[in-house]
Amino acid sequence: MLRQQTSTLIREYGTGEVKRNNKRYPHYLNFYDIPPMDNISIEEFEKFALDRLQVLKALEAATLRNKPENEVKEHLQELSKQYLPMHSNDSERVYPLDEERRKDHVSHFILRLAYCRSEELRSWFLKYEYILFKLRYLTVSTKERQEFLNHQNLTWKILSRSDKDMMKADLQAASPHVVVDTETFFEVEFEKVLDMVARRSVHLRGGTAYVPISDQVTLVMDEFKNRLAKALEITAKEFPKLDEDDRIMPILNNINRYYLGNSFANSTKVTGNITAFDVDRLVEHFPLCMRHLHRKLRDDKHLKHYGRMQYNLFLKGIGLPLEEALIFWRKSFSKFSDEQFQKNYAYNVRHNYGMEGKRVNYTPYKYVYPESKPAVKIHFAHFETNGSCSKIINNNQPGPEEHHGCPFRHFSEESLRVTLASVGVRNDAYIREIINLVRNKHYQVACTRYYEITRGGERGMMDTIEHPNHFFEQSYKLSIKQGDS
Amino acid sequence: MEPEIKTEDDMHVDASEFQPVEESLSAMQLEQPQGTGLDERDMPVHELMGVFYQRIFPYKTYYHWLNYDTVPTKSFTNREFSFNLPNDVYVRYQSFNSHEELKAELLKELPSKIDIGAVYTIKPKEKKTTRPGAFVPVEKELVFDIDMTDYDEIRKCCSGGNVCIKCWQFMTVAIKILDRALRDDFGFKYLLWVYSGRRGVHCWICDERARKLSNEARSAIIAYLSVIKGGAQQAKKVFLPKALHPSLQRSADILRSYFPQIVLKDQDLLNDDEGWKKILQCIPDEETRKTLSDAWNADPSRTSTDKWTDLVSELDSAIGTLKKNPKRADALKNVELEIMFQYTYPRLDENVSTHINHLLKRRVCVPIDPEKCENFDPHEVPTVADLLCELNKYSGNVPVKEEGERKLHDYEKTSLKPYIKYFENFVQGIFREVRNKKRAASINDMEF
Repeated sequence: MLRQQTSTLIREYGTGEVKRNNKRYPHYLNFYDIPPMDNISIEEFEKFALDRLQVLKALEAATLRNKPENEVKEHLQELSKQYLPMHSNDSERVYPLDEERRKDHVSHFILRLAYCRSEELRSWFLKYEYILFKLRYLTVSTKERQEFLNHQNLTWKILSRSDKDMMKADLQAASPHVVVDTETFFEVEFEKVLDMVARRSVHLRGGTAYVPISDQVTLVMDEFKNRLAKALEITAKEFPKLDEDDRIMPILNNINRYYLGNSFANSTKVTGNITAFDVDRLVEHFPLCMRHLHRKLRDDKHLKHYGRMQYNLFLKGIGLPLEEALIFWRKSFSKFSDEQFQKNYAYNVRHNYGMEGKRVNYTPYKYVYPESKPAVKIHFAHFETNGSCSKIINNNQPGPEEHHGCPFRHFSEESLRVTLASVGVRNDAYIREIINLVRNKHYQVACTRYYEITRGGERGMMDTIEHPNHFFEQSYKLSIKQGDS
Repeated sequence: MEPEIKTEDDMHVDASEFQPVEESLSAMQLEQPQGTGLDERDMPVHELMGVFYQRIFPYKTYYHWLNYDTVPTKSFTNREFSFNLPNDVYVRYQSFNSHEELKAELLKELPSKIDIGAVYTIKPKEKKTTRPGAFVPVEKELVFDIDMTDYDEIRKCCSGGNVCIKCWQFMTVAIKILDRALRDDFGFKYLLWVYSGRRGVHCWICDERARKLSNEARSAIIAYLSVIKGGAQQAKKVFLPKALHPSLQRSADILRSYFPQIVLKDQDLLNDDEGWKKILQCIPDEETRKTLSDAWNADPSRTSTDKWTDLVSELDSAIGTLKKNPKRADALKNVELEIMFQYTYPRLDENVSTHINHLLKRRVCVPIDPEKCENFDPHEVPTVADLLCELNKYSGNVPVKEEGERKLHDYEKTSLKPYIKYFENFVQGIFREVRNKKRAASINDMEF
């Protein structure tokens, strides 16, 4: 039944038939003009969507942190291998190209459904699909590109020989990187090549831009963007007509809120199991939020409920077993008697470890794939994010005397500055950069920048910190690596 | 990071968005001139404005301009107007179905300033009754703003809000350069240059294509036209590439003809060591800087023009002797031109929020003919009080009317006449094009 519905849904806003070639997907590149007509299981539906989302989210992280294009490209290749492998026609014998491209095709359309519902979602999706397409376009060989463009019937008016000769000097001055005599120029409206206009790197006359063929990518990208923007609008209009039960709708409605990071569900193995006495030694690898909690715990010999919960889950994630955790907290709460501790605090510690109450094994983060039977409803309660950054940032705002939360989110600018300086970020430019990210509400990106700045090198990491344990692991691993060399 | 991707990023934050009007506008008052005798200048402001809106304001032309047609279109009826009211209140989202309605409202409210905003999907005054999201700006003229205060670091005659005929020359070059670029490069035809009534000029580009530009396109055009970059902390603000884009070549030719008069004679910027130090900072070569500053310190009485000749020839000889060091020589090749750009190229206000059309701040807002802008003197532009004076004087000595003589419009009796004539011609020009388009369209229809 789902099959039918999915294909109905697709037919409703679809425009045509899939071309029946001997190969289904003859091209590496795809403008996604034609929706897939496949049958797809619900597991696949969700998996495809999440996998593509991983890639787009990574592109977002890289873009927000102004990574140079070649680094982004490398990183994309890494990620693609894992989530969305794509190979050019040259490697036809080695890789199942049709299968790869089908996943690319289908996952694009699923996310298109999920991301068509608001202006904000649409522009997010458009932006990162644009970057993804562009990086792919730049990766593939000229021959494959041309085949794709021919197939799409993408051509632009070519500047005539005589006109070209007439404005030769101007063309040369505007495009110094080409040899005008041998280069083909296109005549297009300047609105099609805005980034070239902005960089003053194309000749303009009377509202027409003269684009050398070596800058064709700009024209292709313009086309890609216009088509996708239009398609998203149409999808948004058609979306409410979708007659759908509650199996794929919840996925579509929630996909953009999924947390995609590593789950840290089983206590981490980077450190192995640690003891209560190791914690102080490891503090240097903690993210700011945990450092802060640790210091306050040492200063006050106490932490309030949410602070304990946040810190305890984190410690569990770095490999502190329950017995050790009890020792750690007992020793830290030194101003309390044994009896007070047992009565008021031990329960919570055990609770976090799933040894009390509902016996839910609270994890710093837990991701459970839904049962894989299509008939089963997907309950999003499965997606617990205890202890993830988004939870720390969004839930349980700290009140007076409370020290939990995310310093980037919950500190005043002034105290954030002081805190940063106290942990070694003294360069004004860096502090400004971080403060700017915070002002724009990119708290996790700010944290990631903090990591990069303090852990040396611009090239520290590509993924945005999504979880305090993620920060810890990266930092710890790095120190081991450096210790080795 | 590649600029392609960056522009994407900037897409939603650029100030050139054609969101309508800026919310915060400084309190604005009519200048109260120190008149001696009792005349119009002593009238209370609201009475002045009353007469102005009753007798002088060119409603019809104003309406025709913003309507782009003789029958009412959305261009006018869905257009946002905002008023600065005399009690310092700023009201947004006003809209009118006709010029009569506009007139009635102006006479009732007597705003000291009118802002023209964008054209929306629905009438702005009905904004509150529609669901959010349905009220979206659709089009807006492309507007540029050049503000004299951005020239403070390179003018000596005035500063801040003050303007004199000397520093006004910066505006003249700006108009010449931008007018050419907008027409030749972008193909725009209907450019309305206006003196804002205070300390700058605005350019309203009214072509249909310009009105329909996306925010992204507006930012791109601003970037294309911006050459001077960097804040107060950066001495050298212009860096030109080796191969000059055709648009910059054309600008350079215009600059060359204005630079000696404006910068060397009128502003006399190389006269004292404070001025020449700033210019010398633009030369990225320690030795050349030192040679020149030593020579000028030894003989500070040389005129700015002489000193500029020194500078140019010193640069030439430095480039000559640096033959073995092509990198350093290259860095000097464009310096002469870069200085000229830094000191005369238009300084576009990138934060232009397109809310423009101050009807009057101190003086009345009037159009400027770009062909004759070198003759424009902001001090000749009348204030509202001036206009009423002129009006009264005129009716004081009217000759007896002859039979059949056309009744003059009130503005024709004032010094506003040539400006309004120019404005009318401008609007007629747009109308001609609209008519031609319609005719072409109807011919096309008939063919089917």
